[in-house]
Amino acid sequence: MDILIQQILNGLSIASVITLIAVGVTLIFGLTGIINFAHGEFLMIGSIVTWLAVQAGLSFYLALVLAILAVGAMGFVLERGLFRFTLTRPTNGFIVSLGLIVVLQHIIIFFYDPNQKSIPRPLTGIWDVGGVRIASVRLMVILVTIAVVALTFAMVTRSRYGRALRAAVDDRDTAALMGIPVRRYITGVFVLGSALAGLGGALLIALFPITPFTGGTMVMKGFAVALIGGLGNLTGAVVAGLILGIVEGFSAGYGFSAWTDAYSFALMILVLLFRPNGLFGGTSGPKMA
Amino acid sequence: MNANLSPLRSLMPALAVLIILALVPALGPSNRMLSLAISAGINIVALYGLSVLFGQTGILSMGHAALVGVGAYAAALLARDTGIGFWVALPLGGIAAAAFAAVIGIPSLRVSGHHFVIMTFAFGQLLTIVLTNGGDYTGAATGLDLQLPVTFFGSRADDLLPYYFVVLAFVTLSAIASWAIINSPYGRTLRAIRENEKLAASLGINVGRHKIGAFVVSGVFAGVSGVLLAYFLRHISPSQFASFPSIYLALMVMIGGARLLLGPIAGGILVSFLPEVLNLDPVQSRILYGVCLIAVILLLPNGLIAGLADGWQRLFGASRKQAPSPAAGGKHASEAGR
Repeated sequence: MDILIQQILNGLSIASVITLIAVGVTLIFGLTGIINFAHGEFLMIGSIVTWLAVQAGLSFYLALVLAILAVGAMGFVLERGLFRFTLTRPTNGFIVSLGLIVVLQHIIIFFYDPNQKSIPRPLTGIWDVGGVRIASVRLMVILVTIAVVALTFAMVTRSRYGRALRAAVDDRDTAALMGIPVRRYITGVFVLGSALAGLGGALLIALFPITPFTGGTMVMKGFAVALIGGLGNLTGAVVAGLILGIVEGFSAGYGFSAWTDAYSFALMILVLLFRPNGLFGGTSGPKMA
Repeated sequence: MNANLSPLRSLMPALAVLIILALVPALGPSNRMLSLAISAGINIVALYGLSVLFGQTGILSMGHAALVGVGAYAAALLARDTGIGFWVALPLGGIAAAAFAAVIGIPSLRVSGHHFVIMTFAFGQLLTIVLTNGGDYTGAATGLDLQLPVTFFGSRADDLLPYYFVVLAFVTLSAIASWAIINSPYGRTLRAIRENEKLAASLGINVGRHKIGAFVVSGVFAGVSGVLLAYFLRHISPSQFASFPSIYLALMVMIGGARLLLGPIAGGILVSFLPEVLNLDPVQSRILYGVCLIAVILLLPNGLIAGLADGWQRLFGASRKQAPSPAAGGKHASEAGR
């Protein structure tokens, strides 16, 4: 039982990173209609930035902030430079993002070789709570994720910007007439989603060593979670991330760790079969006429 | 190139290119060039399947390499467990991949657009995981070896040169099959679905069944390509058929132009030989592919060949021939392969 709780905690810490991807993916799709498959590479670059900063002697937390800023800036450039031109043809945007996967991954391999990269654990403490050993770094990852996701959620549902954004999703033209700078908001959402990927990357390398190929598997899981919850649905993404974390934790606890990677895909296929809109109902993205 | 060409004449450019390719060995190419050409040819067979699916029906699959993998593993398993050789494995590999495509397609095509793409991606990834966890039967992560020789009427055909002609024959067959599909009523049905699914359905076309049909057809091409690949490489492993190879296949077909008969040949050859010509290492060449893909999508959405044809027509077409069909401008050139 103790081992099970521990495995579930482990599962949840990885699921936190996946949830950050899923929230980014779902946010970007729900509010801009862009499907960015290169989101996993954004995450990987976040990890690489963290790794470089820590190697340069900066503290992990400073490195984390740098990763968020760097990946956010990259998101800005790529949205303005590439995705902007595909807004009316989302399939093209999707294909562009596939090209970006190849480009970003191999640029990193070109400059920093394809080998594993790791940083010393930023937190080394391990607490013993009634026989369950909790690594503080895992708890930190879970707590940071909860805080950031809650903040994002509040921003989208409560703030003035969030309301304006959702108005723009419902009816672009009217929103524009009301003085909402729709284009700028789309860029803003893309940058926010990218920054979340940067944060996810920093948290991921605090948990595990990464390689330039990490992004590929992580983005698939992120998309799986986003689709299970319903693409475009923030709450759905968070709940689905939680489910995946628990399922993966259970499976590792009962000795099926070789199949861990299969669950997210199998779960997604099952959910899409019976509820093509996801468990909590997705959106079809904004209409980009 | 004109829209009202007889269907047979639309096959001519592709056949001309293939005849040129058949004459290439007379130039005495190096072994490296020949093996590059063979792997390009094997890719082209698979790309023809993808072009039927994406170019004609408008469905993008990111699991095409997985279907190639089914063909390849079918060949390797048949050879190991039953001693069935190359020529029998070819149709069986095609059938196996087609069956797998049906198994993937029936649930996946319940969702459309991006959801479908992501589903095929997931199925591709799942297949890799299953193959990796398959123990001794699938050879786990190391994969399988294949030792049976390829013979052609009693003589060995494993060497690079004979195998080049075997592969070229299958490229020709795929081009002709693809041409036959494009010019058949079936091809028109698929294009109707691509252009407007709802309208097609309202005309009494069973959209779901035809989409699955197109997916299965693309699986046959992929399976045959997989058998060719297994007998060429002699060793196959799960990572060769994961989602990234699928991305490269999609990239090749889009760089060449998915709707044109020449597109897969152009894409396959270009992507295989460009790094060699420019003397790039694999990492640099992949960066180049990615950049090419993005540039093609943003600047020439119909692929390179169609883009060139359009440019040619815009420069010379108008002045040379005033009529008969002034409307056959750039738009038609990109569809001339029909």
